Parts: sequence; C-alpha cells; structure tokens
Amino acid sequence: MIDVKFSNVSKRYRIRREAPEETTRHPVVRKLSRLLRGAEDFWALKQVSFEVERGEALGIIGHNGAGKSTILKLLASITTPTSGEIHINGRLAALIEVGSGFHPELTGRENIYLNGSILGMRRREITDKLDSIVEFAGVRQFIDAPVKRFSSGMYVRLGFSIAAHLDPDILLLDEVLAVGDSAFQAKCLQRIDELKKLGTTIVFISHDLGAVERACDRVLLMKSGEIVKSGTPREVIHSYESDTYQSNSSNEVYGLDGDRSARIEALTFHRSDGGIRTVFHTGERLEARIEFEVTSPVEDVVFRLDMYSPDGYNHSVFTSEGEKLSLAPGRGTITFVCPELGLMPGIYYTDVSVNKRYGLQAIHIQFRSTTLRVDPGSHAHGNFYMPHNFYLTRHESSYDSTSSQTKVGPSDVHAR
Amino acid sequence: MASNPAIVTRATRGTHRRSKTIRPPSFSVSRIVGDLATLAQYRDLLYTLSVHRVKVRYKQSVLGITWAIVQPLSLMLIYTLVFTVITRVPTSSAVAYPVLLYSALLIWSFFSNALTTATNGLVSHNHLVTKVYFPREILPLTYVVAGLFDLVIASPVLFGLMLYYQVPITVNALYALPIVLVMTIFITAAALILSALQVRFRDVGMALPLLLQIWMFASPVVYPLSAVPSRFRTLYMLNPMAGVIENFRKVIVEAAPPDFSQLAISGLVAVILLPAAYVFFKHVESTVADVI
Repeated sequence: MIDVKFSNVSKRYRIRREAPEETTRHPVVRKLSRLLRGAEDFWALKQVSFEVERGEALGIIGHNGAGKSTILKLLASITTPTSGEIHINGRLAALIEVGSGFHPELTGRENIYLNGSILGMRRREITDKLDSIVEFAGVRQFIDAPVKRFSSGMYVRLGFSIAAHLDPDILLLDEVLAVGDSAFQAKCLQRIDELKKLGTTIVFISHDLGAVERACDRVLLMKSGEIVKSGTPREVIHSYESDTYQSNSSNEVYGLDGDRSARIEALTFHRSDGGIRTVFHTGERLEARIEFEVTSPVEDVVFRLDMYSPDGYNHSVFTSEGEKLSLAPGRGTITFVCPELGLMPGIYYTDVSVNKRYGLQAIHIQFRSTTLRVDPGSHAHGNFYMPHNFYLTRHESSYDSTSSQTKVGPSDVHAR
Repeated sequence: MASNPAIVTRATRGTHRRSKTIRPPSFSVSRIVGDLATLAQYRDLLYTLSVHRVKVRYKQSVLGITWAIVQPLSLMLIYTLVFTVITRVPTSSAVAYPVLLYSALLIWSFFSNALTTATNGLVSHNHLVTKVYFPREILPLTYVVAGLFDLVIASPVLFGLMLYYQVPITVNALYALPIVLVMTIFITAAALILSALQVRFRDVGMALPLLLQIWMFASPVVYPLSAVPSRFRTLYMLNPMAGVIENFRKVIVEAAPPDFSQLAISGLVAVILLPAAYVFFKHVESTVADVI
C-alpha cells in the first residue's frame, strides 16, 4: 500500500533579481526595470519521484537548498508543484512549526482550540483530547492564563503536545525537533516511536543525522533538486557524510583583496587514538587538525574553527587567539585539542579560517568545511556540557544514626 | 500515553482512507467543487478563528465590545454637528437627520471595516500561510464575519435612536435582511479579491483607505440620494453602494418597501461576482506561500 507518491514533480521559483549597479537609481525606475527584465527561474525540484509505503518511516536528507524543504511544503499543501503529481493516501499532518497560530492574548485553553483547528482537528476531537493535551504538556496550572505569560519551554511543550495528539495516517516532520532542550527532543522521539508502532507512515526531513538514522527505515539523499541516493539510513548517511567530508572548494573566500599569504588546505577531526572520524560523543576527547599552506610570511595570525548548528546558531569556537603566531612560508598543521567535547548531540557545520589578529580580518575562510556529528555521550542536559565531577560527604546527624544514611545516585537521574 | 484512549490504533480504525492528489494549479469546475468541500471540512476553523478575531479585538480594553457601537455613533455625532450646524444638507425627508445618518453609517461601517481589515488578512498571517495548510479563504472570511458581528452589536442603537426621534418602525424593516445579505456577498467577493491582490501588490492595502474615503462621499451616506442633482443621478447610480445604502435607509427608517429592481440588480451582480472572486482567489492561493 503506497501512502505517499511523488511522480515527476518539479517546482520552479521565479526570482526577480536586481542588478547590482541599479541600486543608485530611483526606486520607481528600479521596480520597472525589474518587472520588465523578467524573472530568473530557479528549479528547486527537478523531476523528483519516490514512494512511501504504508507504515514506513522515510528520511530525507541533504544540504540546504537541495530541495528538502520544498518537498516538505509540497506535502503539506503549502505550495503547489509546477509540474508532476503528488498522491497522498490518508490524513496527513505536518509538524513543521510548533505553536503556529498561538495568539499571545488568548489563554492556553483557547490557543489549544485555535491551534488544534488550524492543524485540522474538529472541535469535538479537541474537547475529547483536551485533558490529555494539557497533561502531556505539563501546563495544567497555567492553562487558563494568556499564553504570553508562558515560559518559552512551556510554549514549545504545549505546541508540541497539541500536534502530538493529531493521530494522523501520515506524519510529516522537519527540524521542529531541533527546538527545545534534549528532554523535549527525547519526548518527541518517543512519540514518533509510538506512532510508528501504531503503523503511522512517517516522512522525516532533517539535518539531524543521528535522529534520522534512529527513526527511519529508509533514507533519500537530495542534492540540487534531485534524489541522488536511496537506501538504508546507514548507507545513505555515510554517503552524505563522506561527500561533505571533502572540503568544498567553491565555499572558500579570500578575505583581503589580493592577499594570498595563507590558505587553509584541510580540516580533519581525530579521536584519542588518532583515527579520523566525523562522529564524536559529548564529553569525548577531540582533536581538530587544520592543514594550511603559507606562501609569504605572516605576522600574528589567529586560526579559528567555528562550529554552528544547521540553523546558523554559532555554538562554539576553537581559537588560537591566546598566543601570538607568526608563520613562515611552507606547509603546516595546527591541532586544536579538546579534552572533553562540550557540544550537545547534533550536527555541526564548521567554518575554518586564518585571520589577521588586527580586526580579526580573514585571510582565508573555508565555509561549510567538514561536518561534525555529535552523538549522545556523557550525560548532559541543557545547551552545552560542562565537564564535572562530584563527591559525597556524610554529615553527623542530631537524630538517630539510621536517618543519616543519605542516598545519592549519579549526578543526574534522567535516562538518556 | 500509549494506553491513552484518545489515541486510536490503526487496527481499530477502518481501512477507508481519504486520498488526495496535488497537481499544478489549473482551472476546472471539479477542482473548485473540491475546494469548497475542503472549506466545509474546515468550518470549525472558520468558527474558531472568527470568534478569536472578535475576542482579540476587544481583549485588554476597558470599553471592550462597546467599541463596536462607539465608532458609528461618534461618527454620526460629528457628521450631525457638521452637516446641521456648520452647513446644511438638504433633506427632503421628515425623518430627523441623525437617524438618516446613523442608518447609513451602520451599513457603511460594515462595508468599510470589513474590507479594510480583510485586505491585509493573508499578509498579516504570513507565518501561518507559510507553515500550515488550511483553506486560505478562511482568513479574509473571518474578517467579514467579524464585521457582521459588529453590525449586529451596533444595530440596537439605531432602534434606540428611532424611538427617541419617534420614527416609526414597520414591517418593511425586515427587508433589511436581504439587503444585508446582498451586501455581505458583495463584501465577501471584494475581500477575496483584495486580499489576494494585496499579497503581491501591497499598494492595494495603502490605496484602499483613501479609496474608501472618497467612495463614502460619493455615496448617499452623509446626504440622502434626493440631494444629488437630477442631472447627475444616473451617473451617480452606477455606484453599487448607492443603491444599497439608499434602500437600506428606505426600508428601516422611511418605512417604505425597497426598490425591487435595484435590489435585484445588486443581488445579481453580487451573485456573479462571488464565484468569480473565489476562482481568482484560489488561483492566487496556490502561489501565495512563495511570494508572501
């Protein structure tokens, strides 16, 4: 039984681009010339075809601009294809944005009705599930307060709770899981597992390769609007990772005009045994080796390795600012050693750069260099992991000796 | 949560499933019929959003729902002051000027407010339009419903005024209902067209308040139709609102039956305009998320 079928679907966006030299002309003239010039065509999807079986969990991965979010929008009926057909068999619910339609002035209860009906639930259905929704979100105390008084955590939990009660035949998921802390993400994944057991068909579009590997039966790899690979999660993800492992030379930029004095050659990550890896665990020892080439002597440079999540949020940076480095011509390697990786599980893109210290002007930057994947490791919650130990001391109690037995477990009791 | 009775397993649900095919936008009657069926499916959303629209407007305001009355009432007071004390508007009617004025203002406010708010309906909800699917026509429709609600709230004041000025209320007033119906159909059609245009051409939203301002003075709102010199009258009557407002005033305040031929023509125009507007809207809807 096929639940979702794409047949030769193409999607074109018309982009009206302004020529750079025109910015000095009068706005009305610019607008006219833009309209007259006609639009450029950008094909976000090119003759894409695939099928999803009933009960299957399909993952779709690929770089930004590969066409993933276009597939998402087409499935969610947010936009229409330029050509081709999409066949959907059953009730489809899209979990694309949690809390869409929440109005800050309305109470939690009123917003449940609002959001629920926007997502396609009938009033009767919402009323029946209301208690369960409130319970799952853990907001019973505040349910009759205006939503603008909610903390961001409550907001996200309530939004997700409503969507989690959708019970569709086909569930469409995207980066929505990246919102919220890891406890919330664990809850999301748990709900997805439950839905899988119930036989729901799932289409999961994400950059979180770990989650995709965990949740999906089959994965499609998209590139420039086409499907380039289809297979088991392991195969396809490995193919994707090794593709991005090679530095993409079109992503590099020389910062200062004509200054070619230094150049980044490669970035590799190494485990404690020296082996090259792109998958690490929170709390693990990590070495980042940057190979560079210097053509003319440079004084006082700073190397930087920026690590950021797919949404552009810069999580952390390795930097050599602490020392003054001056380089002589030739090849070299700088190795950043991190005894305990503080990044939380997820995918991190990296930018590598060699910069002049003054004003941190870049000599050479390689954008979107090797992708780093961090899987769960040391028990960690929140935004980042801080290495920590703990020890226990016994206090003499004024009560009888039996009551002074204090039981302490490991630093956290949550299951990962 | 797996044991939650609210969650139904695939096994207990029937194997009958609704299936849907998404194709590139094209016009066909069956497609429009399908769109209307989808709209019917989402009627709960239409209800919920309309209620929300009305509630939110008056939340956190002390006067609350009385604002719906304050607008036509204060306009009426100002215009009465201007057009009876400062300058004189010739009224051939025996009915007091404030009553004539308020009755016209009531229907004009409905028209003007519903259109102004509905035009920006899609654009102001762009976060919804780009993230969630639901029949987009619901957005401008909720503003029309909210406008109708305001009309209902402000109507008792008219009857109060009529009592005060001893204007008789007759059975002919019931003709107001089909007039309001025709008005609503016309406003809905205009709302659909304008909100669709507004997405791509924001000038529409800017030009509208100005257009409405001019339109109001070109309609028999602050003056009765009889005040228009007869040599201009046929031209004047080309204004669709002229007939509607005059008839509305006639049946409620002047206790006379409406001009049936005029009503029939307005009705016909509205009934033809609405499906055309809907088709236009649906055509634009398919690319709305790409350009909003």
